Amino acid sequence: MGKICHLYLTRDHVYFLHNLLNGDGIQCIAQFRKEALFDEYRLSSQNDDRISFAIDLSLLHRALHSIISIYTEFSAGDSGVPGGNSAPNHIQIKLVKKLPPHSQQPMPFLTFETKGYKSAVIQDVPISKPLSRSDVLELQAALDMAQDLPQTLIQVPHMHQLQNFVEKMKNVGDVLNVSISKYGDLHLQVSTSLITLGAEFRKLSVIGDQAQSPTDDQNLSAQSRTRIALQRGDAMTVQVSVKHFFKSLQCHAAKPDCAFYGITQQGACLTVVFQFFIPGTHQTDKAISLHCRLPVLDPGAS
Amino acid sequence: MSSSAVEPESPDLVCQLDNVQGVVDALTSVRWKRQQDAVLELSEHGIVLIVEETACLQAKVYLQRELFVRYEYSAEGRPRFGVSLGLFVDCLNTFSVQGHSSAIELRYPGPDMQLLLKSVESSDSCTYAEIRTRIPDTISWDYNFEPAGSSPLSFTVKKQLLGFRTVVSYFDKFVSDPGHLQKLSTNPRVVLRSSGFLPIFSLKFVQKGGKGKERGFEEEESCIRCLPLESAALKEAIDDLEWPGSSIHLILQPTPPSVTFRGEGHGDLQIDFMCQANTDLLVAFHCDREVSHRYKYKFLRATTSNIPSSVIRDNRGSKLTIGRGGMLKVQHLVSVAKPAIPHPHVDSASYQQPSRIAYIEFFVKPEVDEDDANDT
Repeated sequence: MGKICHLYLTRDHVYFLHNLLNGDGIQCIAQFRKEALFDEYRLSSQNDDRISFAIDLSLLHRALHSIISIYTEFSAGDSGVPGGNSAPNHIQIKLVKKLPPHSQQPMPFLTFETKGYKSAVIQDVPISKPLSRSDVLELQAALDMAQDLPQTLIQVPHMHQLQNFVEKMKNVGDVLNVSISKYGDLHLQVSTSLITLGAEFRKLSVIGDQAQSPTDDQNLSAQSRTRIALQRGDAMTVQVSVKHFFKSLQCHAAKPDCAFYGITQQGACLTVVFQFFIPGTHQTDKAISLHCRLPVLDPGAS
Repeated sequence: MSSSAVEPESPDLVCQLDNVQGVVDALTSVRWKRQQDAVLELSEHGIVLIVEETACLQAKVYLQRELFVRYEYSAEGRPRFGVSLGLFVDCLNTFSVQGHSSAIELRYPGPDMQLLLKSVESSDSCTYAEIRTRIPDTISWDYNFEPAGSSPLSFTVKKQLLGFRTVVSYFDKFVSDPGHLQKLSTNPRVVLRSSGFLPIFSLKFVQKGGKGKERGFEEEESCIRCLPLESAALKEAIDDLEWPGSSIHLILQPTPPSVTFRGEGHGDLQIDFMCQANTDLLVAFHCDREVSHRYKYKFLRATTSNIPSSVIRDNRGSKLTIGRGGMLKVQHLVSVAKPAIPHPHVDSASYQQPSRIAYIEFFVKPEVDEDDANDT
């Protein structure tokens, strides 16, 4: 999505937020209930126990990656020792201010402390200054705004195949028309002065508002079917950037169990909601949620 | 597009293709730059795509009707229309990722003279495209290829020709010995030659004398034997000729039967394909007199550099023919067979479907040079 994101901590949740404050790109919201990530969680701030700061995800990823490797080595080395594993396999994460080398000014860091038998590894990931009270309020407002879900959501089939297809579509045009109907039809189309290229997926699972597809539309073209559904008020259509759409499909890398696309009211944005199941079940894991909002392009601009 | 649009009662052509990837490969082979206009010509025999560059290079892809699972042609004459080659290939390419099967239907013309494509198989998903066509430009140069004289001048390159890269890697080792190099020169000219019945390469370092005067000092340094290796020899040879660049001499001579590519520029590079019995160097060789022509490197390169690696691996050989006036014809074959389950004992599934081959032809005009016309 991007390198920098906001980490937003509240009493009960931890959020990773992309592009919520500068609203022109694709927005991405990952929400974790505190129990999903932490055994113990203490937070206090003068701003109603809310803290937010910007963090470089590649540095965070590096720190976490090295911690995983430390623990992998640790547990491998530990397995042969009689008496079992007495060292707890956990990390302590703290927000600290430290004086970096060659500097007079203390800087904020997110510190990861990993303990082994005889050693401890401390990694400091630099972060921005905590957001001001007004910025946190603005972030919270943007987050509240971003929570409204489309009335109709349809399940995307074969994410991987769709990703391949859209990747090749990128070569043909920049603007993607996305139409979603209550019948469970998803219609993607790139149209330029030289070419129109589209794909239609039908009879997908629908969550929310749905309708029975008309029986007489079987022999119609994808374009005609979409046009009629739009006229009946059974479908919505928006224009988004092909690149944004492709990026939203890349969230597939987070290994969601399924993905749903929908258009919010008045066609304000295209939303994709990823669903994660509790391992071994088909029940949604409510402790984790991930969704993206793709900005809608001004039809005049394209 | 789709079935419901207002389409002419009887389009000129409706055809179905079950291996889009093969056609994408064939068309990619003639895509030597980003923006390229192509002309499509339809006939009862199939579809021909023609691309051209500055009246010096022309390529044709023949998609004969046997490549299609259905081919309904009902036009009179031969309809021709122009499309953007890049767009056409990119568009076809989106059809080739549609899951397991990639059968598509092509239809011309659409209601607005478009070329219409749509996937045919699944009822619950469908991909479609409408490509705008234009009135084609007239072909600026007539590429009528005529044989040069009564007997043909041609050779066919097959796999297991020679692994020139391997020689070059030997050569790299050779050159990387600094002591050796210092003895020669700080900036030696290098000539690579192959000789003998098998591709035996001799390396010759030709040192230039001081003050820009060539001393003519040649020192035979080493002889490296190289066994024939599986490789796309023609492509590799032409790729290697990039080093001297500019223009390339192509020389065919009957005794000893050989083909020579020689580039002179920043350095000299000569690649000889020796044709002798009991070697797989050249599958066929027809030449009754020595001919020599120069071709621009970038045009020569266009004839091989864009062939997808999957086609190179398939290796059906390439045929080069020199016609009247030194016009060079380079022909390639690309399999457009329906993808089959790979079988360990069958080299290529397409061998069982010999008719399902797309033919590609390049025509390269020689560089005009007063010393050049020595084949008459």
